[in-house]
Amino acid sequence: MLLELLQLADSALPVGGASHSFGLEALVEEGILEPHNLTAFLCDYLAEAGRMEAAFVRAARRGGCPEVLSAELGARRPARESREASLKIGRRFAGLFQALTGVCLSPELYYPVAFGAAGGALAIPEEPLAQAYLQQSVTGLVSACQRLMPLGQVAAGRLIWNLRPAILGAVSKSEGLECPCFTPLPELASMRHAWMETRLFIS
Amino acid sequence: MKARLELRFETSRGKTRLRLGSQEPPWRVIRAFPLADGGALVHLHNVSGGVLAGDTLSLDVHVAPGARAQITTTGASRLYRHRPGLADSEQQVTICVEEGGLVEYLPDPVIPFAGSRHAQRTSIRLAERAALFAWETIAPGRQAMGEQFAFESLRLRTRIESAQCPLILEDFCLEPETAPPDSPARLGGYTHMTSFYAIQVGRSATDLLQLERQLGEIAIRESRPGCTIWGASALAADGIIVRGLSTTASNVPATLAGFWKAARRFLTGEEAVPPRKLK
Repeated sequence: MLLELLQLADSALPVGGASHSFGLEALVEEGILEPHNLTAFLCDYLAEAGRMEAAFVRAARRGGCPEVLSAELGARRPARESREASLKIGRRFAGLFQALTGVCLSPELYYPVAFGAAGGALAIPEEPLAQAYLQQSVTGLVSACQRLMPLGQVAAGRLIWNLRPAILGAVSKSEGLECPCFTPLPELASMRHAWMETRLFIS
Repeated sequence: MKARLELRFETSRGKTRLRLGSQEPPWRVIRAFPLADGGALVHLHNVSGGVLAGDTLSLDVHVAPGARAQITTTGASRLYRHRPGLADSEQQVTICVEEGGLVEYLPDPVIPFAGSRHAQRTSIRLAERAALFAWETIAPGRQAMGEQFAFESLRLRTRIESAQCPLILEDFCLEPETAPPDSPARLGGYTHMTSFYAIQVGRSATDLLQLERQLGEIAIRESRPGCTIWGASALAADGIIVRGLSTTASNVPATLAGFWKAARRFLTGEEAVPPRKLK
């Protein structure tokens, strides 16, 4: 089970995650996000959006209807680019998961729901599953930041290492779907990203 | 204080009429004013001047098939300081729009005073071809009094859904003491947040992308990073959201009205009819 989880939660899994910054590119472009406030940003992001996504991973892991959960999650992600990024990654994840395990997941699931449903199919325990999801998610964001700002490999590794309590904290508060999430600035950055003249990332 | 206000909008000979149900103080509606498009405009008064600690206020709106309602307020929603021994104040808004109906819910800003603890729940259900234009602006407090994020807690839950699926689910919990609003993951250096929803059930994805483009152009034109920024995005189905962040209240109303007018024209083919105060 550990090996399966490690592979599915590898941020290098070929599901297209490296093409998306989920609005961070616009935050960096507008001078809001810089190396000195990146740790604080990610801690707070995990406490809000991370907690909410973890709740959907867990609900899908428990066997909640993936289509219903996906519709709910789509309504909780107002910025189209980030929402569609999650759907695209979820679709590629479902395809890869079927190729690896033979288990069929709907191709119309947002990534947290697809990840949770995959965890359910493999009977991976709920909390480690959600922790692994957030760990790979935040690793993807840090990787995006390495391409957007002066952030070395050691600093990036230390940053992710130091986020462990924030990940555990977010998961510990994600039991039900009634999770608040207040991230208007990153959402707005995602809406504004489409209007940037030069873009490195799809979202 | 526990109080309920029920508003029912019905059609009669091409005009929308208001039928008042329950009306308990501090809610007060004097009358409905006819609009040029056959709709009815209602001003909501809160005669106590704001929402007091322990208050539980509910507003139920029903818009009959084909009816058109515009609802606004006579002033900002002031959320008063919490009092020991009393429950957190609550406000619940429920709006049901039947087939082909239209509602414009355009309240003044919410101002949470220092020490306030408030929960708001807004539920809107839209039938086929029903349309909604709604906005909400949250201020950080009484800035003229030197208050900024001095409230204790503000929970804002919004659920907008069609018969097919949820369209918008927002659940904001602001607790400035434990979750700093000025984090770049939340508001950054901005202090005021505005949301505008323009929805018409049954609109195609192509239409929504076109509207997103139109409103996005306004958003980019009206944004001044560091002062006010705007963004527009198509929802997963049936509508658009516009979000704005600002360092001051004065930059918001005119631009917000601009989004409303453009979205109204696009979705209904008609000009918006502004309530008083908007130019």
